[in-house]
Amino acid sequence: MIKNKLLFTLVLSLLTAAGVLSAPAAGADKGNKSPAQPPITGLTAADMPYDVGGTVLLAWDALASVPPGTVYQVFVSSLETGGWIKAGDYPADGVKPSSEIELPFWAWRGSKTRSALRVEVGELFAYKVTTERKSALCLALEKSSLLRAILSRLQGQGLFGGAGKPEPYTRVIEYKDGIPLNFKVVAELAGKQATAVQVKGSTASNWFRLDRLNNLLLLIVIVIVFFWAVSHAKRKGLFIRRIAGLDAIDEAIGRATEMGKPIYYVPGIGGMSGISTIASSFILGEVSQKVAQYDSQIKVPHYDPIVMTVCKEVVKQAFLEAGRPDSYRDDINFFVSQDQFSYAASVDGMISREKPAAVFFMGYFMAESLLLAEVGATSGAIQIAGTDVESQLPFFFTACDYTLIGEELYAAGAYLSKEPMLLSALKVQDFGKLLVMVSVFFGIILVAVGAKLHWDPFIEVILNLFKAY
Amino acid sequence: MKLIKKQIPLAIVLVFGVLTLVSYYVPHKLSVDYIETMNKWENIVAAFAFLLGLVSLFFSHYYKIKRKADGWGYSLFVYVGFLAMVIPAFIWHGKQTSELGMTSLGWAFRYIYNALSASMFAVLAFYIVSTAYRSFRIKSAQAFVLFVAAFILILGKVPLGQIIWDSVLGWTGQGVDQVIEWIMGVPAVAGKRGIMIGIAIGAIVTSFKIIFGIEKQYMGKD
Repeated sequence: MIKNKLLFTLVLSLLTAAGVLSAPAAGADKGNKSPAQPPITGLTAADMPYDVGGTVLLAWDALASVPPGTVYQVFVSSLETGGWIKAGDYPADGVKPSSEIELPFWAWRGSKTRSALRVEVGELFAYKVTTERKSALCLALEKSSLLRAILSRLQGQGLFGGAGKPEPYTRVIEYKDGIPLNFKVVAELAGKQATAVQVKGSTASNWFRLDRLNNLLLLIVIVIVFFWAVSHAKRKGLFIRRIAGLDAIDEAIGRATEMGKPIYYVPGIGGMSGISTIASSFILGEVSQKVAQYDSQIKVPHYDPIVMTVCKEVVKQAFLEAGRPDSYRDDINFFVSQDQFSYAASVDGMISREKPAAVFFMGYFMAESLLLAEVGATSGAIQIAGTDVESQLPFFFTACDYTLIGEELYAAGAYLSKEPMLLSALKVQDFGKLLVMVSVFFGIILVAVGAKLHWDPFIEVILNLFKAY
Repeated sequence: MKLIKKQIPLAIVLVFGVLTLVSYYVPHKLSVDYIETMNKWENIVAAFAFLLGLVSLFFSHYYKIKRKADGWGYSLFVYVGFLAMVIPAFIWHGKQTSELGMTSLGWAFRYIYNALSASMFAVLAFYIVSTAYRSFRIKSAQAFVLFVAAFILILGKVPLGQIIWDSVLGWTGQGVDQVIEWIMGVPAVAGKRGIMIGIAIGAIVTSFKIIFGIEKQYMGKD
């Protein structure tokens, strides 16, 4: 029996040994095919500068060559030991040197020898909490025994089943910056891992976008010029070039008065926060004043109710200033629709039926620009348009008699009112354009010279200065 | 009275204008929260203003019908259309589909609203043709340049045009695609950028005028 057992054990051992010897050396082969992962060294975790928070910048010494297919696994933990949460997998070919982070030279000094990775931790540490929320009825029931009695009686009759009971309420507890976190980066290739040492770091919500310093300086210069121009306007008169489209407003209103037909003023489909709509409301004020003086008729169909409310005040004031408050009617401004094509269809219908003498398109327009302007042109109205949407300008150019291009629309209110304070702002626009022209001119020369002489850092400095971050 | 009608609104514009401007340079969470709150307020105001718009719409059409003004029959459709959408929306709690399939609200959206909207958009194609015809009338040197550029673009976008170009101007070694790319990438972009720079500067200055209370026409003059 023992002999049989020994024989069986011997045969089994031989078979096992044969199997092991004949099987391919998996581990050894694997090792030959995929090179060993070099360890990650010099790992640091710092707050990502100039951001809202919740993002950390991991950096480590760049490897001379990373085997293709390598993936960096980033783990984060808020505990001293363990509790690792995977923040994400980052293919090595997507990890760039820290010098390639898109920040200007005055705000960031990157290095070509350090790999950098932005890791967002905010969402990893946010969590949901479900509690019970007491309604006003619930609180009232706690205080009043009479209410409790009434409600229990009603509930006894099968009414208001769930009323007066606390309701479940889920809220998100957001991650707070400043919590010390542990980070580790694992480089993985075909199952083989090289772990970096653990580092500490935390995120912060920053107070200043240093990368936008160029923008801020430009803003300060424009503000200074703005106030200088305004104070200058009080002392001296300013020459403003003629804008044909605005000079034609009198002609258009005169025509409408002679023909006894209405004027349509279309303020576009922009909201009141849009600059073009604000500019349009200024022009409407001036146009309405002239309409009131000539005792003509104006109609203002609206897309946005807020714009309608503002325009009502503007037109009312204009009629008052013209000394014709009796001519003002509340239905001059009216709401049509807040749907783009419904609005266009409705205004088109009104223009086709009423055949106005003049139509103004001033404000923000999209695809409806041509739908409106073409119908206006077919109806024989004199048309004056103005918009800052450059894609719609060609349509207005071809379908309207006069078109105000972008900045002319903004200048129109000042041009028509002829108030020195407002006119002075036009000088600031001219100064801004001069500044841009000079910058473009010298920028082209400097970059061309830099490229010719292969001064790459110099070119980068110039490009950084003119870039928006 | 001036304090309520002028000075307080101007102070609100100044404070919130400056805060919004500053928030562009301050990435802090407080700044982000402020912008979010402002957007929420804007949405709330817009929702209430919509009711105002609806009242204005109903009244203006009511008076048209009452006065029997020209085209008053169209005004009836405002009420009919409104009821045709609002009643199904109430019945189906705003849902366009249910377990049974498409609701009457969904049907109205798909077969009335979307069809009308698409028709209106489709009309644009015909208007573009008539506008193109008008712009192609050569009255000046600029109009001629516009015509030539547009003609090349049209030629290059149709296979027949490409064949014509290759047979007539093939000897130049320049394909019509390359010419189109140049027109779109160089003169068109140059012009567009010029306009955009002007617009951007104009927008900045207009914003300053409003923030600093130089331009206050929108709240009526003194």
